[in-house]
Amino acid sequence: MSLPASSVPAANPAASSADRRGRAVRAGRQETVWVVALVALLAGLLAYFVLAVPNFRALGASGVLGLSEQFLDIGVIALGEALVIFAGEIDLSTGAMSSLAGIVMATLWQQGLNIWLATVLALVVAGLGGLMNGVLVTRFSINSLLVTLGTQFIFSSVATAVGGNTPPYNFPKSFVTLAGTGTIGPVPNQLVTFAVIAVVMWLLMGRSRYGRGLVLIGYNRAAARYTGVNVERTLLGAFVACGLLAGVAGIFVSGYYNAARDDIGDSLLLPAITVVVLGGVDIFGGKGRMSGVIIAAFLLGFLTQGLLIRGDSSLTATMVTGIVLVLCLVLKIGLDRRAGVHLKELVQRRFSARRAPLAGGP
Amino acid sequence: MPLQAGRPLTSGISLRTWLGLLRRREAQLVLAILAVFALSSALHHTFASASNISFILADSVATMIVAVGQTIVVLARGIDLSVSPVLGIAAIGVGFPAQDSNLNIWLALLFVLLIGIGLGSFNGFLVAVVGIPPIITTLATLTIYGGLQFIFTSGQEVVNIPNTYGQLGNANMLPGIPWVIVIGAAVVGLAHFFLTKTVAGRAIYAIGNNADASFRAGIPVRRVLFATYVICGGLAGLAGLIYLCHVGSADATTGSDTNVNLMSIAAALIGGTTLLGGRGGPLGAALGAVFLSEALQAMISFRIDPIWEPAGVGALILIAVVSDRKGAPARQLFRQAFRRPAGAPR
Repeated sequence: MSLPASSVPAANPAASSADRRGRAVRAGRQETVWVVALVALLAGLLAYFVLAVPNFRALGASGVLGLSEQFLDIGVIALGEALVIFAGEIDLSTGAMSSLAGIVMATLWQQGLNIWLATVLALVVAGLGGLMNGVLVTRFSINSLLVTLGTQFIFSSVATAVGGNTPPYNFPKSFVTLAGTGTIGPVPNQLVTFAVIAVVMWLLMGRSRYGRGLVLIGYNRAAARYTGVNVERTLLGAFVACGLLAGVAGIFVSGYYNAARDDIGDSLLLPAITVVVLGGVDIFGGKGRMSGVIIAAFLLGFLTQGLLIRGDSSLTATMVTGIVLVLCLVLKIGLDRRAGVHLKELVQRRFSARRAPLAGGP
Repeated sequence: MPLQAGRPLTSGISLRTWLGLLRRREAQLVLAILAVFALSSALHHTFASASNISFILADSVATMIVAVGQTIVVLARGIDLSVSPVLGIAAIGVGFPAQDSNLNIWLALLFVLLIGIGLGSFNGFLVAVVGIPPIITTLATLTIYGGLQFIFTSGQEVVNIPNTYGQLGNANMLPGIPWVIVIGAAVVGLAHFFLTKTVAGRAIYAIGNNADASFRAGIPVRRVLFATYVICGGLAGLAGLIYLCHVGSADATTGSDTNVNLMSIAAALIGGTTLLGGRGGPLGAALGAVFLSEALQAMISFRIDPIWEPAGVGALILIAVVSDRKGAPARQLFRQAFRRPAGAPR
């Protein structure tokens, strides 16, 4: 948990570089601890459900894998959302974008287009929506929270308008199989698609120049600029990818339910952000691991589905999600404190003018 | 910037002053409200009727009260996404006793405030004491409170409220002036007084501008932050009672079905409050709420399909934000947007 050097310039001028390096190492170790803890939690959770919930046990291995179809849409959105959050921005329009992509795909298909061509075009629309967010954020330098709050409304209106009163349903079987409910052996197709995307995202964030640049932007934007990172283009890429993945989630949901609706995405946004935060990504950017996000997607998904199978209502399950989020953050902040960041400093930093130093520059 | 709010508005009436006044978001909003009103009245003869005006205003009061609370939180650089279930819980929390045992309306007022303050304190505790970022805190409590609202409702709904409640929500205090408008105006006035004339109110602006400097200047930052969430919760609770009285029903989706969260943020933003904190105020938020309500009525009068309402709200947010560049003219903004970024930080 080291401090972005520019955020509190006068706070600790005497900190030696060795001290700072020590902090950076501790921060990295802590991220690892968080990911390991998530894996342990996931294992514990599955063990609990298998041992204590007969209905869950009765599903068998393939049934449990099949459950993932219920939550991978959230996972895919979370992967894209994570990119944006790594850079210290946020995208609130992903849910609406999922609805829009599903509707565009379905409507184009209804107009007589080949379903796969329609899917590609829907993904292009989703990417363009992300591009629009990105341009507004980078070119007009407007806070992304505001931009996406606005475009969220716009996307969802367009989805409603395009979809009309009875949005299309009953897609060709090949589409429903590949994008929705089909399986390869015991493994759902959606899980395979998700795995591919997850591996790409993991490599992108952990092994590529682009990913490191993105995290650096979230960590300290001015430093990123001086290091030669093209901040505008990198951010733009993150928003486009986020829109695109939201589109993929929309296709997933449409395939799974074999129908498109203009409000399918509404319930996906908040769980997706929960997954990202649970995965250990700092909501202000600059810290976290993509592997954490991937594991958190399964953790949250199995938690929700397990509770539903146990017989809890869906709102109870959502509520538990919120409680888990709060507990995890309390725990995480406790860990931060152990790593030597005092609570007072932490709170001050949370509310200090974090981006103000950008205005001046050295 | 926050000192702007205390600047005298009327002294020295030169042309320059008037033009300066137009820079203020409140003035722009009043003009926008009048323009939409004039346009709608010209094209639709019943729009200018006294009953329609009173309807537009009364319909905006619940959003207005929530938006004032939201503004107070946003001014201190926070955000509260949990206002819609707080409103909902307050509405059903007094709705059921009112329906079943004719709960005294003053007791109801006390209850909604307690509910709102209680739920708001939990937000405030998590943000100011534990130190979880506001957007995450309130995202989590949004789901928790939403679940609570669902559990409390247990599939029932409030459909039948006592007469006293209905009168508060829909009857006039003076001819042509409904009670709810008076309540809304009182809340806005009190909030304006609190934010501009009291030490605690100024501290909220100070924290929004620079929490670090405020801390060093001796402001109890965490206590003030805690208070902003408590106030916001209390106002959301009050709005729940107003909603119940005005609409006459409440159920498990009250608050979330009318998108109170986003509408309150939209009203605050359109009213000139910036999410970066320290700038804006409740007068703008109130005008923003009125403008949203008026725009919806105008859309209905023009027979624009209501599915475009969210898009309209979204576009308004974007316009409000883009035009809020501390007076930078649009030309300059566009030039900046399409210039190749230079090597140096902005």
